Amino acid sequence: MAWVTPEAPTRSELSACIQCGLCLPQCPTFRLTGMESASPRGRLMVMSAVAGGQAELNDVFDDLMSFCLQCRACEVVCPSMVPFGRAMEGARIEIAAQLPSPLRRLRRLITGRWIGSVRVMRSVTRIARMVQRNVPARWLPRQIKTSIGGLRPLPKKPLSTIGSTFAPVEPAGAGVAAVLAGCVMDPWFAEVHEATVQVLRRSGYRVVVPDGQTCCGALAAHDGDVLGTRRLARQNVKAFVSADLIVTDAAGCGAHLKEYGNWAGDAGVILASKVKDVTEIVAEAIADGRLPHLEVPRGKVAIQDPCHLRHAQRIVEEPRQIVAAAGYEPVEIDEDGMCCGAAGMYSVLQPAASDELGRKKADQVRASGSTLVASANPGCEIQLRGHLGGAYRVAHPVELYWEALQAADADTVGWSSAGEGNR
Amino acid sequence: MTLTAELRDILGHDRVLSEPLERWVYGIDSGVVRGDAELVAFPETTAEVASIVGLARHYRTPIVARGAGTGLAGGAVPTQPGLVVVLTKMNSVEIDEENATAWVGPGVINLDLSKQTEPLGYHFAPDPSSQSACTIGGNIANNSGGPHCLAEGSTVSHVLALEMVTADGDVVMLGGPAPDPVGLDLRGVVVGSEGTLGIITKALVRLTPNPPDVRTLLTAFASVEDAAATVSGIIARGVVPAALEMMDQRMTQAVERFVSAGFPTDAAAVLLAEVTGLSAAVEAEAAIVEEVAGQNNATTIRVAADEAERARLWLGRKSAFGAVAQAAPDYYLHDTVVPRTKLVETMTRVYEIADRYGIMMLNVFHAGDGNLHPLMAFDSEEEGMLDRVKEAARELVEICVDVGGSLSGEHGIGIEKRDLMKLVFNEADLDAQARVRESFDPDEMFNPDKILPAGSRCFDLGRPPLEGMWV
Ligand SMILES: Cc1cc2nc3c(=O)[nH]c(=O)nc-3n(C[C@H](O)[C@H](O)[C@H](O)COP(=O)(O)OP(=O)(O)OC[C@H]3O[C@@H](n4cnc5c(N)ncnc54)[C@H](O)[C@@H]3O)c2cc1C
Ligand code: SF4
Ligand code: SF4
Repeated sequence: MAWVTPEAPTRSELSACIQCGLCLPQCPTFRLTGMESASPRGRLMVMSAVAGGQAELNDVFDDLMSFCLQCRACEVVCPSMVPFGRAMEGARIEIAAQLPSPLRRLRRLITGRWIGSVRVMRSVTRIARMVQRNVPARWLPRQIKTSIGGLRPLPKKPLSTIGSTFAPVEPAGAGVAAVLAGCVMDPWFAEVHEATVQVLRRSGYRVVVPDGQTCCGALAAHDGDVLGTRRLARQNVKAFVSADLIVTDAAGCGAHLKEYGNWAGDAGVILASKVKDVTEIVAEAIADGRLPHLEVPRGKVAIQDPCHLRHAQRIVEEPRQIVAAAGYEPVEIDEDGMCCGAAGMYSVLQPAASDELGRKKADQVRASGSTLVASANPGCEIQLRGHLGGAYRVAHPVELYWEALQAADADTVGWSSAGEGNR
Repeated sequence: MTLTAELRDILGHDRVLSEPLERWVYGIDSGVVRGDAELVAFPETTAEVASIVGLARHYRTPIVARGAGTGLAGGAVPTQPGLVVVLTKMNSVEIDEENATAWVGPGVINLDLSKQTEPLGYHFAPDPSSQSACTIGGNIANNSGGPHCLAEGSTVSHVLALEMVTADGDVVMLGGPAPDPVGLDLRGVVVGSEGTLGIITKALVRLTPNPPDVRTLLTAFASVEDAAATVSGIIARGVVPAALEMMDQRMTQAVERFVSAGFPTDAAAVLLAEVTGLSAAVEAEAAIVEEVAGQNNATTIRVAADEAERARLWLGRKSAFGAVAQAAPDYYLHDTVVPRTKLVETMTRVYEIADRYGIMMLNVFHAGDGNLHPLMAFDSEEEGMLDRVKEAARELVEICVDVGGSLSGEHGIGIEKRDLMKLVFNEADLDAQARVRESFDPDEMFNPDKILPAGSRCFDLGRPPLEGMWV
């Protein structure tokens, strides 16, 4: 039957792969198993077999595709520039269309609908908080153990920043930055949003969090839910229509927004062209002197590269520049930037592989000798904290910069109140 | 019992693949020929490999060993329905720093070994362009080379000993830590035998000290002749660079699109030269390279400013095959060797063939040792294209042999070039090779149909094939 949807992997996407195999060692699942069927080349070959009618789209196909983290490390090294992430999203859409199941319907409800509702997320947050505070980790099923253990302490009354506006700190003039609040960032990572907003203000931006926006839709897209993904994309296109600059502080959201062209037509292409990760904006402001280099040394910080920052958005230097400007010494933990195993819902759907990758990443952090880790994506942050335990701190690079900036402010204030400074 | 069930008894369920889709991906390597992998097994120890061979023998199933499957000649492709034994899980590394050697599993990835020995100041010298992915087992089986083998020699110069499982399921050790062990050099026989003599389960490899200094020079020319004259000129001056690589214009353009390393895309040919050694020598040799390039009308002479620029240039060179796909969906690659003095003549004739057949031709090659990699890029869906490509390929090889060259520099013969063997070997040559093979593996259990064309064993002296054998 081959493919049944217009979103299926295309012939040109698949034939771009010349089977050179250079992507194999970059692929976390190939590294775990040593199996071609768990490698980018193998997955593309299997897609081609289905496309060409040599094989059927069956449960084995589903298993092989679902084992992929969608980390896109394979894209970076591919000399033939195969758009693997797009092809895999296409394959997942085909699976959803050809192999419907109650579990998949439930997932579609969660990632395509509920997650976009502030009200639902509030209730989820309340329940998660209760579990976080009252249920010992050993009672939790494996699928959510790391995730619950890796959450920041959840707020009693989750707030939403949607609809707020923040004035720039003078001298203004950098323009208006429209921030994506995100589905989990708002209720679970309020400190990261706070740092993003404040540092953007200090760089001279007026910050708005446009009304009417919703979850970016990355999770739905990764799960092959076309309708849900489109619906969320269309809603955001409308909410951000008048923005000139759209800022995200979650790498996964940024990567997905930058590909809105696949989901929302020309309007999606336009939106995508305006999206920047907050690390890009802040590094730029530091480079051109709108934000200061802080001199006080603050020790080491291990750098974890979220896949959707490093591989999907090709942002590598910026987080390092930001923590360095905050006074930290960035420490490399992994030259290839191998996935930590969080990968959106992967940790829930493939707990064994996710745990093994999480343990490896935690070992790399431990080997670095730093007890502080900078990570620019919420999923990675949870995974790292879950695997590292309480003796380690995981924070967003911009959060670290904001803390350093506040400390510098306090010093200057203390100094000026002694009557010597003039600010 | 079935072979599948018995294999699962030994290896467990997950280390034997039998689902059609999972086996499908083991039907091909980086080449173009597809075969049928009936079963796929993933041993972790030598003992498991020996048991697998024993079982396969019992069930009369041919075995094909496989590393990363980056071979370009179909070497790891099962031509008869058979068992593919994948060695990727056998990837232990034991470094002997004192003797600058390491015992490695066959599944160790080439570049991983060099990364592991880097802090000690060593690397594994053979550096095929696929080194980030290919395995040491595959390198040994194909006697692979790479840009830096011009000065260091190919894999065979870096392997001291091999542990191998034979067709009888015995574990034998060939060679040893001594550089020149007594007795017949069977280690030398097995290196380059493309999985036809046994399964390599462990190897003792030589580690090479990292050079104290290195300089990489990018030079560009308005004609291929000038570039080729530079190659000969450099070597005539007594300099053997660590690497000396050439790319023609089409190839340079494809590569530059991927790496943006500043390769001059308007030049007819670019030459990448690397000199290594002690600082003073490096300085002097780099000066000679610059001088010779200048004498031959180089349009660009650039020295890589730092390690990052050097890494970019090499990434470009090593991505060349892959970058071709930007030009067309399929490619067919050759790996011929010609005497350096015939480089220009051969290139002219090669382009002439491509024009005549209307096929896009890109060239990238180890210029230092005359190892050409002419690459034809095409779309196999185009009517009659595949036949044209095969015809053109045959002519191309004939030309190279005609000027005194050889069939394969480093990629192996496998299945794709097997029938061309008759162009370079006479009946007696082929028969001698067939006898060597027969003495290791009389029933052709390992990698049947590879390297030697059917009928190689021409002066047959005995042994008719057994009833029911896989012939
Ligand atoms: C992009 C690209 C660039 C390349 N560049 C070069 C280059 O510069 N130089 C070069 O020489 N080659 C090059 N190659 C070819 C290829 O990478 C090499 O031949 C490599 O050594 C194959 O290693 P592998 O692990 O992929 O082996 P495979 O392809 O898996 O197998 C190759 C052969 O080795 C046999 N084999 C594998 N493991 C064992 C074992 N343990 N015991 C017995 N037999 C075994 C197989 O049966 C097969 O015949 C390139 C390939 C690609 C795709
Ligand atoms: S690197 Fe690209 S072209 Fe090569 S096998 Fe992987 S996906 Fe295919
Ligand atoms: S996206 Fe990640 S897990 Fe999936 S094939 Fe590519 S490298 Fe492997």
